[in-house]
Amino acid sequence: MTNDQSSTNKRVGRRGFLKGAAAGAASTTALVTGIDKSLAQEQGSGPRNGSVPPPSAQQVARDSANVQPKPEMARGVQRAGSDLMIQVLKDLGIEYVAGNPGSSYEGLQESVINYGEPPNKMPEFITALHEESAVDMANGYGKAEGKPMCAMLHGTIGLQHASMAIYQAFYSGTPMLMLAGRDEGFIQAHTAHDMAGFVRSITKWDAQPTSLDGTLSAIQEAYRQAITPPTAPTLVVVDMEFQKAEGINTKIPAYRPPTISGVDTSTAKEIAKGLLAANNPRINVGNFRTPEGVKLAVNLAELTGACTSTAATQGPMSFPQRHPLCGPGADTQYDYVLGLESNGGNITLQRAGVRELTASRDVAKIGWGGLEINGAENPGGGRGKGKGKAVAAQGRRLMIDAEASLPAIIAEVTSQMTPDQKRRIDERKTKHADANHKAYVAALEKALETKKKGWDASPVSTARIYAELWPLIENEDWCFASPSNFSGSHNNQLWSHNKPYSYLGGQGAGGMGYGAGACTGAALAAKARNRFVVNIQTDGDMNYAPGSLWTAAHHQLPMLTVMHNNRAWHQELMFMEYVAGSRNRGGNRASIGTTLRDPYISYAKMAEAYGMAGEGPIEDPKKLEAALRRGVASAKRGAPYMIDVITQPR
Amino acid sequence: MLLHNRSFTCAAAVLVLCVAGDRALAQGGDAKAKPAIKYGPVTGSAARGKELYHAYTCYGCHGFNGETGARDLVGTNSPILATEDTFIHFLRLRGNLAPLLPTQTMPNYSEKSLNDKDAKDIYAYIRSFHLDSPAVKDIPTLRKILKSADDPYKP
Repeated sequence: MTNDQSSTNKRVGRRGFLKGAAAGAASTTALVTGIDKSLAQEQGSGPRNGSVPPPSAQQVARDSANVQPKPEMARGVQRAGSDLMIQVLKDLGIEYVAGNPGSSYEGLQESVINYGEPPNKMPEFITALHEESAVDMANGYGKAEGKPMCAMLHGTIGLQHASMAIYQAFYSGTPMLMLAGRDEGFIQAHTAHDMAGFVRSITKWDAQPTSLDGTLSAIQEAYRQAITPPTAPTLVVVDMEFQKAEGINTKIPAYRPPTISGVDTSTAKEIAKGLLAANNPRINVGNFRTPEGVKLAVNLAELTGACTSTAATQGPMSFPQRHPLCGPGADTQYDYVLGLESNGGNITLQRAGVRELTASRDVAKIGWGGLEINGAENPGGGRGKGKGKAVAAQGRRLMIDAEASLPAIIAEVTSQMTPDQKRRIDERKTKHADANHKAYVAALEKALETKKKGWDASPVSTARIYAELWPLIENEDWCFASPSNFSGSHNNQLWSHNKPYSYLGGQGAGGMGYGAGACTGAALAAKARNRFVVNIQTDGDMNYAPGSLWTAAHHQLPMLTVMHNNRAWHQELMFMEYVAGSRNRGGNRASIGTTLRDPYISYAKMAEAYGMAGEGPIEDPKKLEAALRRGVASAKRGAPYMIDVITQPR
Repeated sequence: MLLHNRSFTCAAAVLVLCVAGDRALAQGGDAKAKPAIKYGPVTGSAARGKELYHAYTCYGCHGFNGETGARDLVGTNSPILATEDTFIHFLRLRGNLAPLLPTQTMPNYSEKSLNDKDAKDIYAYIRSFHLDSPAVKDIPTLRKILKSADDPYKP
């Protein structure tokens, strides 16, 4: 909670505010909303025990537009406060706002679609069918681009719908900006005194500003906080009062980009010296914040001739998997190891993560699992105590952003390098490239012996899906946005992840319902950049929030969805088998509650219902390649496509 | 129950065999590296075994054809599959393993939950599995993938 929020105790009634708004410039002062007492009395059930009462039948009818609200007339404004808020988003470069419509942010939504002359196009309003999908979209976009997309949420109810997706994004450390509308007096159960309170421990920063000026500043600060390590979702609760306030005399404050610190000069010198003095240096690479980090890491590796590791098969923004320097190298006896967002033997540069936020954000001591700092005091996760702890690095460990550190290190390497060192580095690079290529081919040959198993089997093997896809996409610009862990992770060996957005990693918190929404968000990023998204979609995950398919069809997003349809929440089926066995009750009833049978779900028909082209179910593996070819062609045209493939369980 | 008809020494020997076999299953594939198993006779019904294999969701880990999944069966040369007895011993041996956390390792199947006859039928069905996939060189898609490994790196 920010200081701005603390003044919410100064209650100003809604009608009092409106009167003030009609009076003109007074609308820009720090006004706060309060519970509309007269409305509460009308309900005959004022706030109980300090809580907000549930909506009356009358209020619900009004919210569903069955009756019109009692008019509370106020003079129209010349420039709506929400127009200024959208201008802030435009200035910040926000491309998309995803939301499911809700009255509490109607001012904001109207500005997104109508502000300006001609009417606004950026940020574009992306229609989501569920707030969880809206936030998943922002998550997918943020992972692909390393910068925030915006999600708009409707009051307490939208925020609660969104909370699961926020939780996933928080664990992933995805930068994201959320704006939640707040309107006291319309439906009481849709508002709260401290609306951000119940997602506070899974966001980095929040504010509930008490003025229009404060709201504009808060949106800027939320953006700044979201992109500053530890990157994470942020939330601004935007009162309706300020969305509809007169903004004609309000100026948008200048945005102040964050200063993200890197290593100091002496450390940069030390690292450069270590890399240059070593006979066989290595750089272990994790996941950076933005594509710029990847570019700089490639620059450093090429300058120093160090072989590298990569986390490109674990998530976005890592070292290109098939770069000639990526691999074990010609000699695995490394004499200097630098860790960039990964553990290094000599020195590790690793930015703060969301784990570091828990002390200040988890004030309710919920104790989310795996987020405890060094395992102390906040054990979270019950029996899993200790899991998720930062792995102890060897050598020196600095909690500092690697991406921000690289320019200084590169400058030092360039400045310190002697001609003799450069000659040795060039020789080393050639040896590494040769060795890495051989290692890659040997690993691929070995992997293919495994991937071919069940090649002609029906249902289709998951490996065959990945294998058949690769020749069709390898020369395209693609983004694999769905988690691959439940479908065999065959991309790890079969595909080459050479772009910062090649693979966007897992769900964050391991929750289901993420895939379709995140892929839709990644497809939003892809659309403007002439690439397309591959979604290998597990069926269990799909059924949480399939409405993203409609969003993809409606906005004509370049996305190919291939169903890994094993007709089950298969992981749970395997767990259930074990439990039943351990209790001597056998596994012949383990399918109850863990499978999707009787009837089977037709995903091609689901896609069709949402307006997306699709085909299937495909059970004959020989029909797969042609279907994938059609799907890739369609996705590239901006027509999302669904292929339902009946698969082996794993 | 079968274990009651065997001496302790014999059971211990089977246990060793099963542990080794379990490791082999986990590794999958690589049949060439292990000595060939001398298989015993099959007395159950593969047709009925197929129904049981599905009903008991054995396919969950071993694939519908025994070739895929977390623990493929075909070509593993697993000693667990050598005879009906070794197979049934393996099913029964995990009776006291009930870890607190979820696991997807091989469940226990007691006599009560899967009798010997049913187990033999499942065994018969598993024994009917055979490696069905062509060699890599005979799969055009995989050949293409291998060939493209030599393409120059494209940033």
